[in-house]
Amino acid sequence: MSDHYPLPETPAQQNISFELNGEAVTRSASDAGTLLDILRESGQITSARPGCRVGRCGACQVLLDGCAVPSCLVMAWQLPGRHVQTVEGLNKDPDFLAVRDALASESALQCGYCTPGFAVSLVAGIRQRRQGSKVDLTECVAGNLCRCTGYGGLRRAIARLAAPGCADEADGRSTSEQEKL
Amino acid sequence: MTSENLQGAVRKLMTLDGNSVRNATSKMDLAPRIEGGLAYATDQRHLPGLLHGAILRSTCAHALITRVDTSRALNMPGVHAVIKADDVPGLNRFGIVIRDQPVFCDDRVRYEGDAIAAVAADTPEQARAALDAIEVDYQPLPVVSDASLAEQQTAIHSSHEEHGGSNLLVRETLECGDIDDALSRCTVIAEHHYQTPRQMHVFMETEGGVAIPDGKGGVLFRVGCQSGHRDVEQLADILGVAREKVAVESMATGGAFGGKDELTVQPAAGLLALKTGRPVMIHLDRFESCRAGIKRHPVSVKMTTGCDAAGRLLAHKVEAVLDTGAYASLGPAVLENYLDHATAPLYRIEAYRVSGRLVYTNNGVCGAFRGFGGNQATFAVESQLDELARGLGIEPATLRRINLRSPGDAGSRNQTVRWTAPPADVLAAAVASPLWSRGDTDNGRWLTGTGMAMGAQGNGLGDGLPDSGGGRISLSPAGRICVEFGFTDYGQNIVESITRSVCNGVGCREADVEVVLGSSRGPDSGPTSASRSTVLVHGVLASILPRWMDAVRGHAARVSGQPEKGLEFGPGGIFSDGRQVLSYRELAESTNPGGMTANASQDFPVAPDSEHPVGRYLQLQIATVARVEVDRITGRVRVTDLHHVTAAGPVIYPPGYLGQIEGAAVMGQGMTLTEDMTAHEGRYQADNLDQYLIPTFHDAPLQRVDVLDNTPEDDPYPVRGVGELGIEAVAPAITAAIEAATGVRVRRLPVDPGDLLVAMAAQEQNL
Ligand code: FES
Ligand code: FES
Repeated sequence: MSDHYPLPETPAQQNISFELNGEAVTRSASDAGTLLDILRESGQITSARPGCRVGRCGACQVLLDGCAVPSCLVMAWQLPGRHVQTVEGLNKDPDFLAVRDALASESALQCGYCTPGFAVSLVAGIRQRRQGSKVDLTECVAGNLCRCTGYGGLRRAIARLAAPGCADEADGRSTSEQEKL
Repeated sequence: MTSENLQGAVRKLMTLDGNSVRNATSKMDLAPRIEGGLAYATDQRHLPGLLHGAILRSTCAHALITRVDTSRALNMPGVHAVIKADDVPGLNRFGIVIRDQPVFCDDRVRYEGDAIAAVAADTPEQARAALDAIEVDYQPLPVVSDASLAEQQTAIHSSHEEHGGSNLLVRETLECGDIDDALSRCTVIAEHHYQTPRQMHVFMETEGGVAIPDGKGGVLFRVGCQSGHRDVEQLADILGVAREKVAVESMATGGAFGGKDELTVQPAAGLLALKTGRPVMIHLDRFESCRAGIKRHPVSVKMTTGCDAAGRLLAHKVEAVLDTGAYASLGPAVLENYLDHATAPLYRIEAYRVSGRLVYTNNGVCGAFRGFGGNQATFAVESQLDELARGLGIEPATLRRINLRSPGDAGSRNQTVRWTAPPADVLAAAVASPLWSRGDTDNGRWLTGTGMAMGAQGNGLGDGLPDSGGGRISLSPAGRICVEFGFTDYGQNIVESITRSVCNGVGCREADVEVVLGSSRGPDSGPTSASRSTVLVHGVLASILPRWMDAVRGHAARVSGQPEKGLEFGPGGIFSDGRQVLSYRELAESTNPGGMTANASQDFPVAPDSEHPVGRYLQLQIATVARVEVDRITGRVRVTDLHHVTAAGPVIYPPGYLGQIEGAAVMGQGMTLTEDMTAHEGRYQADNLDQYLIPTFHDAPLQRVDVLDNTPEDDPYPVRGVGELGIEAVAPAITAAIEAATGVRVRRLPVDPGDLLVAMAAQEQNL
């Protein structure tokens, strides 16, 4: 067992072009670099956050061509020609605003470190549902960990998002029921 | 919010739910946190000249260091500095209670995460590559890995070698009455061993932040932490500079739970910043955080508890061993709190002897963690009560009812206690939980059961520790009522709760209040721990606000020419006859900056009459009812519902209160069902979140929180902190529910599904 996580010798740098929040960008990255590294190195994107770097916590979640993915698992070489969105670029998006309002009014966050990741997962889920997929919003956050809240506020926020008349069309699945003890 | 009367005795019961949250959620914007706009300590990449630091950790759990050679690392690309033990200008030691942990090990490593050297380089990759180039020779020593045997093995600290060669750090006993006599009179005695795991905090933001040199020999730290003022003292001693040279500025912190109470990256970052003259960021990745970070003390305990035929508790004997790992950290205080909770503070017991030993091992380092030893003790105590109830053939709730203390009774340490509701009322509300009516069911595969446990917890740091805190109020130049405390915000809703208290006290609106936290240049409020901040905030505001408002009113009268008597604080400014005469901004402009400031500080309330000050004067209580499903095929346990009844005084900020209870409870569930950082020969067996499993959304139960607030009118400290209360009774409630479902009592946490299956099979054979 190595004494810290393995690193390539001296990784070669290369320029990678992709679309970030609607703008074409070119960033220098090493072959071993991840999308998470690229986003954070610029200092401008802080909403994608490292929590584990092994795809387990969802704190680094972003939209890649509209799908929610952990950016720590997206390699730099996979990026050319792809569209990346983070919450910084979603602040006019109606789906994001619905998610934001649901999270805020249900007080679904404490430290907030995990929150943009949850928001990204939910935005992706709402869009899929609108397109007719039978997606359970609670399944969309299965890959997001939160250590502060115990998920109570998140559960309430998801119930609100899945309720009829919300940005999302309810289809009678479990999320739309206001579960109560 | 709904009010209902339960069994007449309960005067005020309020259910906190989605509605209470929505009605009360602060209009203060949570939006920036969701939009990614809030800067965390580990977000500060924009600083000019920023270097990245990395720390070399030991590869051995216990060894002598015979050589450290950094020369090759110094010549690596991008490297600006490499430092080790002899580069520490001041004290090469830290620790909140005992300074026994080296910043960089000089002669010996005592756990796998021990720091040996650190590097600052242009990029994180360069820094880590340089770590690989540092050569260290070790001479391995026998590893002390079993806490129960640690005292017989050679001491891992040479200072202890001199004192008889023991790894025993602290041994403490609390006693009351004649235990042997009491035991001899018991009708039923339960004697069992219990074990609780080495839980990891798993704050989502791992330890990290930036040290920024001021160019004049001083350093500013922006690192996720819990106690700015205390950190300043330790850091000044390490850096070998005067305290005035060190400042701590708090940043939003992505969770702490006790795990950032001790210094983390600050010493290495500060030393590198001074050496290079440039800001240095260190951010541990999860692998390093798992290996080097503080954990919860694993406890192994034997309890012998007895009662008479009427169910009255007579005797209670406790022998506990707590594994503090390689360094003391807050271990001695955790032991003290463990012992206090092991005296079963909720119940009258004729005699007890509660003793514990805190030992050094090479199993990482344990320290503060939400619950602080208390919940480990409560797990065993509550389990013992269930055993006695079974022995007597009575309901667990009945046994508790017989023994619960009443308001007016002394506490278990013979101290005066202030309850916010009679303990019997808390029990009555839990007994009335709708969960019981669902019954224990068996659908062939899933067995369901419901169980209950209670817990009590005192606010404050505990015995003998200096525990005071101050705050300051002023009018900012922009016309906002500025309230400063030294606490840090790591997500415990402290800003919202302070704002709410100020609004209630002053009569202004939320937009008029500005809360400034966590600067070491600001007031010293003491550590953000032990559920103490809420109590201190409330106490300080209660003493400061009337004075300050009088002064401001007087000033407003002079400025406006209106009679002082008719002036009132309101939204946006000062009013007379319902009409605004001055805005806060106009008021601020009419005075010198800092001209309208008031300070106050107060000691944390402790029991007034006891011989030596014991904490646990302000008691909180909780009863948790858990409903579980146990899979007959896999032994897996699902917690479907948790219903809590809490008594911790009035609710200041409902979303915060609810969130703290819910969050702590799920953390307790993790400790009960999945979480354990096991060590083998001093080597941790998990190194990231794919192996160390914390509850996910789908593991989290439905929860309900009923708040019981019968705080007497004359209680001088009505408001209590609930940051730790939710974790207190979860584990024993879950194991009681498992017993209701399966007939098996689990005494070792986390519950092992395999062991549970075997025990269930044995149980069914016996039937
Ligand atoms: S950092 Fe990407 S999933 Fe955890
Ligand atoms: S709010 Fe802190 S991790 Fe989710």
